[in-house]
Amino acid sequence: MKIPTPVITLIVGVALAASLLFSSMTAVSAKKDALAKASASAAASASAAATASAAQPTATPSRGFVVPAHANYVGKVKANEGSVALVVHDNFAIAYYCNGSTEEAWLKGTPHDGKLSMTGKNNASLTADYALGHARGTVVVDGTAHIFSIIAVHKPSGLYQSIATVRGATIKAGWIVLADGTQVGSLEPNADAAQPSAQAAPKLDIPSLTARDGDTTLVAKPIDAEIGSGF
Amino acid sequence: MAAQWGPPAPTRRDPVQPARSATLLVVPALAGGLVALTLGIYGRLHSPTGVAVDIVGFSSPATVKAWLASAAVVFALVQLGSALVMYGKVPGISAPSWTRGLHRWSGRIAFILTVPVVVHCLYALGFQTFSTRVLVHSIAGCLFFGAFTVKMLALTRRGMPGWVLPVLGGLVFTLLVVLWFTSAFWFFSIFGFRR
Repeated sequence: MKIPTPVITLIVGVALAASLLFSSMTAVSAKKDALAKASASAAASASAAATASAAQPTATPSRGFVVPAHANYVGKVKANEGSVALVVHDNFAIAYYCNGSTEEAWLKGTPHDGKLSMTGKNNASLTADYALGHARGTVVVDGTAHIFSIIAVHKPSGLYQSIATVRGATIKAGWIVLADGTQVGSLEPNADAAQPSAQAAPKLDIPSLTARDGDTTLVAKPIDAEIGSGF
Repeated sequence: MAAQWGPPAPTRRDPVQPARSATLLVVPALAGGLVALTLGIYGRLHSPTGVAVDIVGFSSPATVKAWLASAAVVFALVQLGSALVMYGKVPGISAPSWTRGLHRWSGRIAFILTVPVVVHCLYALGFQTFSTRVLVHSIAGCLFFGAFTVKMLALTRRGMPGWVLPVLGGLVFTLLVVLWFTSAFWFFSIFGFRR
């Protein structure tokens, strides 16, 4: 019996999809292996250099997740317009929450075994669990808790920061570029204040990494654990 | 053999044909529904990886997808044009003999171009609902492959009413254009035409 040509079309499509899916899975698991190796060798060299590196984020803790040494996560928080970015680089993590206007916070912390507890100005705090490909937790900004479940991303998605001094004031802006390319950003016109206020950031031009704030050109740099930028 | 999948020429509409039954569409429709549901459920349950295979020569998977989807829409426009000609809807043009071949091959190419896109969408991003655009895109994506399955399987069955193929083809075309507007068009309008 001859197979009708439209059915052949469908079979070819399914076969192509299956092979692409398979090579995607291979690519991701190869990346997983490379990350595990990299963090293992980093751990080895770190323990040779400094004995007390207990917080080394190495692979495969007890919960069965692979914890990457370097990872960028971004995504929206639940039930809200805000987005959160989480960047883990060896023993240091930077997080940023913003809603594209007045609510935002920069946070810092030390990762430990796939867990993070971070703090920022205005009593901002963040707790998260992270593993290969995925992070989830809660960020508290301006007294409001936001729950998030976000995914690992690569350039050009991720976190961008710009710090500039204009007429004596430090302007600090942050942008989160989501996995689908949409961006959300906020800007602190006077970042040195104890309780800096924020407003919407101008649109960040990703190719040139610049944004125009009135007559000022803000130059942004990526905070990217995978390329080691911003640490 | 292949000629029988083409649409009936309007001049051949014969009053003593055997009864045409839309019930022949039941199995293709069930199969298409299964495809759409499978994609949607996989996209919802599978934890998005954020990564997939990159294609050399493009700056990111998103740009690859935008260009592949745009190419698919161009072939889909060929589909629309050749279908209109075949059904005699373009005044002054009678379908040349190669119209059917053009219609089939442009369709096959358009479909194959969409496959890497959907694999990346589902594997790296998943079925998402965080904005209207994304929700519309996710739903249309599942429906597109369901509708395409119905269209392909409907082609293999004879004796269906004449409206079936144009409606299915129009549905597939419309869904593809919706997908393109909610992804590639949106992407280019924000990031500009880039590779």
